[in-house]
Amino acid sequence: MNLVPIAARVGAPRIVPTRGIPFPAGDPSLDPEAERAWRRRLLETALVAVSTEVHKPTIFDPMLVAPAPA
Amino acid sequence: MVPSPVALRRLIHRVTAVGFGDATGFEAGTLSASRPELEALVADPALTSVRLSWVSPGDSARIVKVLDAVEPRSKGPKGGAFPGFVSPAKVQGRGETHVLRGAAVVAAGFLPRAQEALVEMSGPAAELSPLGLTHNLVVEFEPAEGAAWENVDAALRRGMLRVAARLADATAAAGAPPDEVEEIATPGPRSGQGPLPRVGAITNLQTQGAFKDVFFYGHSLAGSPPVAIDACEIDDGAIVSGQYGHPALRNPTYVHQNNPVVAALRAADTATLEFAGLILSPEPVDQAAKELTAAHTARLCAALGWDAAIITKEGGGNADSDNSLKMDALEEVGILGVGLFSEMSGPDGNAPPLVSPPSTATAMVSTGNYDERLQLPAVEKAYGAERFALLDVDASAAMEVPTAVIVAALSPLGWGKLTASGADMVSE
Amino acid sequence: MKVVHYINQFFAGIGGEDKASTLPASREGAVGPGRKLAAALAAEGHELVATVYCGDDYAASERNAPAEILALATEAGAELLIAGPAFGSGRYGIACARVAAAASAAGIPALAAMDPSNPGVPEVAPAVAVNSGDAARHMGDALTKMAAAAAVLAKGGTPGEAEGVIGGASAGARRNSLAPLTAAQRAVLLALSRLAGGKTTEIKLPDFGHVAPAAPIADPREAVVAILTEGALVPFGNPDRLESARAKHWFRYPLTGRDTMAAGEFQSVHGGFSTVVANADPNRLLPLDVAREMEASGEIKALHPDYLVTAGNGTGVADATHFGVEWAAELRRAGVQAAILTAT
Repeated sequence: MNLVPIAARVGAPRIVPTRGIPFPAGDPSLDPEAERAWRRRLLETALVAVSTEVHKPTIFDPMLVAPAPA
Repeated sequence: MVPSPVALRRLIHRVTAVGFGDATGFEAGTLSASRPELEALVADPALTSVRLSWVSPGDSARIVKVLDAVEPRSKGPKGGAFPGFVSPAKVQGRGETHVLRGAAVVAAGFLPRAQEALVEMSGPAAELSPLGLTHNLVVEFEPAEGAAWENVDAALRRGMLRVAARLADATAAAGAPPDEVEEIATPGPRSGQGPLPRVGAITNLQTQGAFKDVFFYGHSLAGSPPVAIDACEIDDGAIVSGQYGHPALRNPTYVHQNNPVVAALRAADTATLEFAGLILSPEPVDQAAKELTAAHTARLCAALGWDAAIITKEGGGNADSDNSLKMDALEEVGILGVGLFSEMSGPDGNAPPLVSPPSTATAMVSTGNYDERLQLPAVEKAYGAERFALLDVDASAAMEVPTAVIVAALSPLGWGKLTASGADMVSE
Repeated sequence: MKVVHYINQFFAGIGGEDKASTLPASREGAVGPGRKLAAALAAEGHELVATVYCGDDYAASERNAPAEILALATEAGAELLIAGPAFGSGRYGIACARVAAAASAAGIPALAAMDPSNPGVPEVAPAVAVNSGDAARHMGDALTKMAAAAAVLAKGGTPGEAEGVIGGASAGARRNSLAPLTAAQRAVLLALSRLAGGKTTEIKLPDFGHVAPAAPIADPREAVVAILTEGALVPFGNPDRLESARAKHWFRYPLTGRDTMAAGEFQSVHGGFSTVVANADPNRLLPLDVAREMEASGEIKALHPDYLVTAGNGTGVADATHFGVEWAAELRRAGVQAAILTAT
């Protein structure tokens, strides 16, 4: 079951879709280095999300959102 | 408006009494079953033993671990019922079909991933399940040691369908005139003339793999786009359930054979609406596929010229989103979607009723609250298992259960009269 | 009877969100909305002797806050306590509920006024909850009802619907019953009614309330960031016995001195999914390893030293709302500007 529509439905303002319910901050199908890079990507996306003005539930796709400039 | 020509005649034989006898047959409302003959039909290397019992409405009895239930039906000597299982997977829904109304073959026993399901034959909960109102031939079984559960399941399904077909075949062969004949038509192409709205049914079928799958001509609809079919096909058992999750939110084969939404649309056809047909849709597991299926369904309804669709699901909260996405997708193309939902409002009815409601569409029918508790009195005899696993009590004991455990009590296909908050239509 | 009134920092005139950490304090007599309340009470022969106030963040997140507030009220001679009205405000409502409940448990008759949707409502018992309406525009009505309910309480009575008491938990409950028609037949009728322009439905869309999104942070490099989870990740052995489903609790555990969530030191007790891969590497639930890396590299200013956790599995919406209000209050008090919550 995908949680993103539920999160949007209950009004979560900033939502980052991840790859699976049992591992929201990881991906066990990847080797450790790649998984850590994916986790970094998720957190970078989350930081973009909290730095972005939103007016309703908004999805920040980690595959599409560019990291904030360092 | 001119009604469509008759496509299928249901020859209804009303079963008013049941029993075992030397031969399987039907006479003057009494359905008799030959134990050895029918048990042999279920025999399979995956099963060590099979036991048949009759239970009837009013009996002080309970069936636990209910899996599926089938209404006995026959196409006569040429065969054709339950295509893909008992007969070759050839298209059905024409000619005559013998129906043993008031009887069902019910499989009960342990299978993995099957949720504890219960049918009461008397007491306050009996009328909540279609199977509480039928004479049931209960099929209990022992799996063979080392048999794969998938094979046990397949053997049981095949056996149950053979028994159902055999009971109806014997009735057909007995040659007695039916108690009633129902003539049903299949919707024609869009008339384009009448003032009546074209309303069709969308039946979502669960597609989650072994023990959570529904079969159409013997195959799961998993991975399929939505498909429009001739609604008469389901009368001959084109849809068979192998779905054992959420008991109250289950559509047993019996309910598919008597699809309540199709029946209600047919009843209103040419009077207040034009019955516009039946679409079957899978319930995909992942969100993107759910959305694509919803969008395709909406396009299909538009192509068929529907003005409105009644959408039903199978399963819990996950399946709600299949209803909801279709309702929203239909609204986007200007077609009304009415969704049937069970509520998960908590034991006290205070929680929000739906986990995954539509975003824009709002026309919903409640089939009742899943969580409300029911008091079941002790019964003399239980079938299916000795223990009721959910509460770890004797299966015949008095118990308090959520409505969720009663088979089809919150019938997603709309069989039941249960509703939450009364049937009063709340104004928005 | 001597009455003490509890209000938040805003209605006490101390300030808005910037003053939400104000500690409990007491003033003689009525303050702000208490003046009209005092007048109404006086008509019944009761005296509003003192006003106790506190910042919403402190009151809703500090565990001892209700006891501290009650102590101030007792000191002022409270024989009866009135809290609110909190309207739809979550932190304020929870504070009012807890203060009134604590007073009532201590033998002081008490009531708290708030909107029926306020997450504080379930915590009011054994005190009485009075319906204040959802916003301050209902202030006048709310104070009238509160005074009426207080008058009944003062006489040793039990206020009821007439005094605006919010009905028992079953007031809006959905109950099962048998309709005259099957659901399928009703669906056909509903379709026809809708096609004819009707607007009815059997299920109203659930109202989860409205969450106003927080303003964006200007620069993550200047922000203190918290990591949170509802994945039931707890120290190995689950020392505080977090529930695996239908949680009624949340916990706070320190991350100080840790660079990663080590396998074997933490475990998920979530009952709704297979925890095998999360337990093999708990960073998959709580991304501490990468968060520390970002702290070290300056991508964020600092990581909040604790993580907050509950089990989001069959959790009631009221409980979840409650946890959210408490978490927000706690994090705001700690100077956290952004939070990343993993959901399972």
